[in-house]
Amino acid sequence: MQTARYSEGHLSVWRGTDVLSFIDGLSTNRVHDLRKGECKQTTFTTTTAKVIDRVTLFHMGEFVACVSHAPFWDALHAHVSPRILGQDVSIFDATASNEFYIRFGHEPSTLGLHSTDDGVTVGHLESGYDLIVATVGKHVESVENLESFHSWRIEKCIPWAGYEITSKHHALACGLSEDIHPSKGCYIGQEVLTRMISRKKQGRALSVVANDEVQSSEITTKGESHSLAIIRV
Amino acid sequence: MDCGTCETAGPIQVVKPDVVEVSLTISDKAQTMLADAFGDDRSMALLVGVLSGGCSGYMYDLQIIEETDQSCQEVNINGFRVLVPNASSHLLDGIEIDYVDRLMGGGFKINNPNADSSCGCGESFA
Repeated sequence: MQTARYSEGHLSVWRGTDVLSFIDGLSTNRVHDLRKGECKQTTFTTTTAKVIDRVTLFHMGEFVACVSHAPFWDALHAHVSPRILGQDVSIFDATASNEFYIRFGHEPSTLGLHSTDDGVTVGHLESGYDLIVATVGKHVESVENLESFHSWRIEKCIPWAGYEITSKHHALACGLSEDIHPSKGCYIGQEVLTRMISRKKQGRALSVVANDEVQSSEITTKGESHSLAIIRV
Repeated sequence: MDCGTCETAGPIQVVKPDVVEVSLTISDKAQTMLADAFGDDRSMALLVGVLSGGCSGYMYDLQIIEETDQSCQEVNINGFRVLVPNASSHLLDGIEIDYVDRLMGGGFKINNPNADSSCGCGESFA
């Protein structure tokens, strides 16, 4: 088991009775039925299904904590903000008082659940790693740098924000099919993604490739011998 | 996780467009269908709102209601009370409420001059 600090995390706290239905209507995964103690990842997309950001939601009981990626926050905020039309949804920025870590390389357990102990919240994600949000000052053993995490990602073919998950690609090409609920109904980008899935044509897909197998421009995360690449399929 | 309950987290500003005084029309066919739906009871109102979501980002929300907690403006058209929430008034100014009579995809339709695009079913717009 390895843990690495992730310095580009962003934490927004969403409060209000309409939060889950609001996020559900704007993102790819079904989250309206998320319960206290559960966590789930979902992706916000444009009308052309290009990714705005993939977020991790933690249902904390009185609020929903949304861990996103700081470089994408402005775009995400610009996407959701004008769509709050009188719903009971308030958003607060709690990034500065928290630190973010990724735990990986272990047998995942209790997938989709999170637990909190002494200011440290650990979410066990379906993607196969844990996302940890710790109050600043709380100790989290962090022995690895992100390079180790990226090497592990290459082996497991797991996409990451800023590498595979960017606004250049649609959610399927990024390798986010597990975030796309097959029958939840309409959301922004749903028509495009559903058409690709039903026709089995998505153009490009995330793959693990040998470094000499593809053009370097297609590589999104470079490893020593193998890399992640979004290639035409 | 520090959720910011101790004032460490500031509220994030959201876009709050100005409230617009809405003008709207209802086609003859839609008025006929509304008359069928309301019957003689004109104390009920047609709520025309917008929800976030749908394929294009916003979805129309039509309801026949007695009253609502939402802050609304009321428009009276030939005896029909139409309520438009202030929060979505900027998206609904100038709309025409129409009724399309066909077996598939029929029903009330909104023709919206504020919409840049809409999805195939007509329920969602951007």
